[in-house]
Amino acid sequence: MTTRVVALASSFLVLGCLATTAAAQQDVEALKKDLTAVIALQGQPCGEVISATVLKQNDYAATCKDGNKYHVYENDKGRVVVDKQK
Amino acid sequence: MSRYSAVIVLMVLSAGCTHAKKPEAQPQPSPVVAKPDAAKAPQTAKAAPPATTPSKAAPTTATPKAAAATPSKSPAKTPVKPATATNTAKTVPPPATKPNAATPPRPTAAAPTLDLTALEARLKQTKGIGVMTKLSLKNQVDDLLGEFRKHYAGKPVPTIAELRRSYDLLMMKVLSLLQDRDQQLASDILSSRERIWGLLADPKSFAALDA
Repeated sequence: MTTRVVALASSFLVLGCLATTAAAQQDVEALKKDLTAVIALQGQPCGEVISATVLKQNDYAATCKDGNKYHVYENDKGRVVVDKQK
Repeated sequence: MSRYSAVIVLMVLSAGCTHAKKPEAQPQPSPVVAKPDAAKAPQTAKAAPPATTPSKAAPTTATPKAAAATPSKSPAKTPVKPATATNTAKTVPPPATKPNAATPPRPTAAAPTLDLTALEARLKQTKGIGVMTKLSLKNQVDDLLGEFRKHYAGKPVPTIAELRRSYDLLMMKVLSLLQDRDQQLASDILSSRERIWGLLADPKSFAALDA
C-alpha cells in the first residue's frame, strides 16, 4: 500500500516538475518574442532574439540570431530604450 | 522490484505527456493559413471604403459594442418577411434559416469602428503582444501625438502629409504585430483606421482628444 502511495506521489511530483518546466519555457518564448518585437520597432537589426536575460523589472539583455546584443529597458521617463551592446 | 518498474513506467508516461504539449505550442506561431485572412481583410476594407461611408453614417455610436448585436438583428429581420408572407405555407422558414448562416460574415466586415480610447483599451487588454512591446508602441503613439500638437501649434515642420505617413507607418507596425496573434483586433483596427485618422486630422476633434 505504501509503495503504491510512494509511486503515485513520485509520479505526481514528476508531472508537476515537468508542467512547471513547460510553463517556464513558454514564458521564456513569450519574452523572446516580446523583445524581438521591441527591437524591430526601434528599427534595430536583430532578426530574432535567441536568448534573453531578465536584469530587473522591464530591464533585459537580449542576444539576437545575427549576433547583435541589446540592452532593452524602460527608462525613468517611461520610454523603452534599446541600447546596442558591443 | 515490479513496483519500481511501475514507478519508472509512470515517469516515462508523464514525460511523454509533456512532450506531447510542445507540438501544441508550435502550431500557434504558424498561422500561415491565417495570413491570407488578414490579407483579405485589408483588401475588403480598402476595396470597400464606399461601403464604410454609409456604415459610418448609420451606426456611429452603436457599432463598436453592437458588433455582436448586428448579426442577431439581421437574422431577425429576414425571418420577419417570411413570417408575414408565409402564414399559410410553413415550409418556407427552413430556407430562411439557411441564409441566416450565411449572413454572419457581413457584420464582421462592417462592425468595428474604434476610436482612440477604445483602441487604447483593446491594445492594453490584448495578450497578443508583450508588455515591453506595448510600452514601446505607447511611446510611438505619444511621439506621433506630439507631432500633431506641433502641427496644430502652427509649426511648419510636420506637414499633414508627413503626419499621415507617420500614422500609416505606425498602423502598419501595430497591424504587423497583431495580425498573427490577435486577428480580431487587427481587423478592427484596420477597419477603423480612417476613422481614427479623421479624428486626428481634424483640429477640433484632436483638441478634444488632447484635453
